[in-house]
Amino acid sequence: MSGRGAVALAGGAAALAAAPWVLSDFLLSLTLSCLMYAALAVSWALFSGATHYLSLATAAFFGLGAYVTAWGVAVLPWPVVVIGGGVVASAFAALVGGAVLHLRGAYFAVLTFGLGELVRHAITYFEKSMFRTVGRVLTVTPTTTTVYLTVLALAVAAVATAIVVRRNRFGLALAGIGADEERAQTLGVATRAVKVGGFALSAFFAGAMGAAVTVRWTYIDPPAVFNPFIGFQTVLIAMTGGASTLVGPLASAVVFSLLTEFLRLRFPYAYLLLLGVLLIALVLYLPRGIASLFDRPARATTPETPVRG
Amino acid sequence: MADLLLAARGICVRFGGLIAVDAVDLDVNEGELVGIIGPNGAGKTTFFHTLSGVVRPSAGRLLVRGRDLTGRAPHLFPRAGIARTFQTPRVFREMSAEANVRFGLEFAGRGRRRAHDAFADARGILAFLGLADVAAVPAGALTPVRQRLLEIGMALAARPELLLLDEVAAGLTEREVEATATLIRRLRDELGLAVVWIEHAVRALLGTVERVAVLHQGRKIADGAPEAVARDPAVVEVYLGADATRP
Repeated sequence: MSGRGAVALAGGAAALAAAPWVLSDFLLSLTLSCLMYAALAVSWALFSGATHYLSLATAAFFGLGAYVTAWGVAVLPWPVVVIGGGVVASAFAALVGGAVLHLRGAYFAVLTFGLGELVRHAITYFEKSMFRTVGRVLTVTPTTTTVYLTVLALAVAAVATAIVVRRNRFGLALAGIGADEERAQTLGVATRAVKVGGFALSAFFAGAMGAAVTVRWTYIDPPAVFNPFIGFQTVLIAMTGGASTLVGPLASAVVFSLLTEFLRLRFPYAYLLLLGVLLIALVLYLPRGIASLFDRPARATTPETPVRG
Repeated sequence: MADLLLAARGICVRFGGLIAVDAVDLDVNEGELVGIIGPNGAGKTTFFHTLSGVVRPSAGRLLVRGRDLTGRAPHLFPRAGIARTFQTPRVFREMSAEANVRFGLEFAGRGRRRAHDAFADARGILAFLGLADVAAVPAGALTPVRQRLLEIGMALAARPELLLLDEVAAGLTEREVEATATLIRRLRDELGLAVVWIEHAVRALLGTVERVAVLHQGRKIADGAPEAVARDPAVVEVYLGADATRP
């Protein structure tokens, strides 16, 4: 789907780029929300879906990016702020990835969740001792159209990156790590470097997204930008859609953003309950995501009987 | 006189207070067929893990063509020409057989000189192993025997000079064991590989290899031609009553 994927992506991007001049403010904000979660879920799946290292660090990367904006938006050009947010998150991911990516399963998940809390408290402390403040009011912010187009560009970049990675040597190495890390290593994959690289690449988009959307909030403080909900929602979206696919997280991001918008505001508790039930049902009955329902039944046509073990 | 390919010197592996491998030396020359036998728990597989970098030896040195690889990361071993299989086949179950072989080519084999045209691409390797007709089948759907062959194919894709085979004949019927022994001879005769083969099926192994080392309780107690080793009193004692003493 090399050519078709690129064409579909370009077409979709062009159509969505017209939105600020066509849609109402409400619908534009809804579209922006869809795009944000699409970028977060696709970039999360790029690493965690392929390697099965379940990262809960999205909120940490997102919040770091948001603080790059808080510190830099008044003095630096907008593109520098957004890319800077991504780069800071990436650098942080590479640093901690080198230290924790030998842990697997629940250990890795819990540790990456702890990272969010760690960074949140570190920034709170830093802000208090350096600037004697707990929150910041963003006075200089780009226009809504600029923010929307930035988010769109990031979403397109995340999808394009995922398409390229799935097809190249790096993506193959990530998939090999997910299937059997030690086997991949004994076949020449420098697993450590690949994992750190994948984690950092995935963090870039979360950080840049944090930097880009923060300006919509005008007042920011650590609890708002290091909101664990953003991280959980990202993981849920990617896993619901099928983290090992590309289209799954994309479609699921749209569905969940709409759900969030309509249910969460009106029935906040019912919404969270629904999410919990949905997550349990998914893990039990559809561990490979909704996308697995649409897999062609390739296995049925194989000449050999499947053997387990 | 063939060149020395692998020199393992005084390899020790300790797990806490347990000594799994105790000062084992092993030399493997280019194109040599070497067997390693020993009772359960003799340290065969742990020793193999050190030869492929999966386990770092607690002491000792490992030289590949004179280059010191002791304690280096496992991914450097296939790149230096040492490829291995695992006791239970570890194929990438979701990928096709061909993709499994291509994986080894991509990360280890591509950068290495190919000693034989059978190594040129994944198809050639599958054909060599008689797996050409299942190239498109997901590896997890292959029979266990074929998964084992495929795992050898993944290792061959690294274009190795030395292939480490860990009990590739375990659980096979007598006829399948024979076929495996034939394949191992072809790996050497047709592809020019050196092979180190660990096996419980001692009789088939002794009939195939040119040299055999015997491990017992982590120590190497014999190393030499199969006929001589089979008559060695220390080996006979370890294998007392087993067929191995009368090949």
